[in-house]
Amino acid sequence: MTIPREAVEIDDAALIERSLDEPEIFATLFDRHAPLLHRYVTRRLGPGEAEDIVADTFLTAFQHRGAYDRSRGDARPWLYGIASNLIGRRRRAETSLYRAYVRSGVHPAELSGSPVEDGVNTLAVNRPLALALLELSPADRDVLLLVAWAELSYQEVADALAIPPGTVASRLNRARLQIRRSLSREGE
Amino acid sequence: MDELKTMWQAIPPATPEELAGARGRLLQGMRPRRRVVTGPRLLAAAAVVAGLVVTPSIAGTPAHAVTRNADGTVQVTVNELRDPAGLEAKLAETGVRADVTFLAPGTRCAAPRFASVDGTYDGAPVADAGELRTLVAGARSSAAVQVTSVRTIRISPGAMEPDETLVVEFRDNRNPRQPWRLGAWLARAGTPVQPCAPVTDGR
Repeated sequence: MTIPREAVEIDDAALIERSLDEPEIFATLFDRHAPLLHRYVTRRLGPGEAEDIVADTFLTAFQHRGAYDRSRGDARPWLYGIASNLIGRRRRAETSLYRAYVRSGVHPAELSGSPVEDGVNTLAVNRPLALALLELSPADRDVLLLVAWAELSYQEVADALAIPPGTVASRLNRARLQIRRSLSREGE
Repeated sequence: MDELKTMWQAIPPATPEELAGARGRLLQGMRPRRRVVTGPRLLAAAAVVAGLVVTPSIAGTPAHAVTRNADGTVQVTVNELRDPAGLEAKLAETGVRADVTFLAPGTRCAAPRFASVDGTYDGAPVADAGELRTLVAGARSSAAVQVTSVRTIRISPGAMEPDETLVVEFRDNRNPRQPWRLGAWLARAGTPVQPCAPVTDGR
């Protein structure tokens, strides 16, 4: 479920460049990317943390916009990279969320009103997945979820985390293997 | 992997209402820098020169005086913030085209009044106070006017091009040790300088 990227006249890089002279333009970048970034953070940390992480991500980005590589038209890797760092500082909140889900079968975003998944089948899959996410190393989990939930390409994940594409591939393979093992363990 | 992609997929993207707090924080965080960089930028407090004794103004002392120094610079003494037209006339006699404003405490002229020759009045934004200091230090407006004591400034006509106007705004500082603050800039040759419309200075 993705919102189609806005068909706007200028790309993120041009927008960031303009914001150097007209800082208020930067709010457009927020309007463009904050809704899905918020969703990504909510999935990982819960709705309570998402607002803070989103605000801090864009404030950090604003402060460092002068160093943005303007050959990259899409700012999502940059923004999700900053967010990944911030999420990394709240590792305990993330593991608590997965643990709570394993216990209760309820993601906290469900509590705030919007129904999430229901049904025994979904739970039967999601519980072992949450357990598997808990067992991953933070670095592997970052790569896996940037691909699966933020829908970044290998190259974009490499840009986001400032690691070589080869490292992205090896972390992803390792993480997928672990996920598959967990699911088949559950199925036995 | 497909199972993972669909995990908690029903969580929706945030609504504008859910993002209002974060957006507000971003706008708030963007503001302090703008406060540094907007508006007139060359407001120098009259320098307190070491050892200088400030004498209270004596009855009969002129509000201001203009003298030409041997090196071609012009010394301006400002004892009282009154009669700006008189000061303009005295400066014109020394060949300096000037626009003088005296301001009440806590006020400033609404900007912009004119187009400046450098970035010190109406230039592009700068990132921080350090960059601002560098900009001001290297600007021609700074070379044209220097505060030399609590009551005097030195104008260097050599730093001015023909037909440029020296715009000076003195603000009453309500402090006998630093009687005024000065804003001084060069307006581009042949361009108009609007009269000062005083506004409360919230900065």
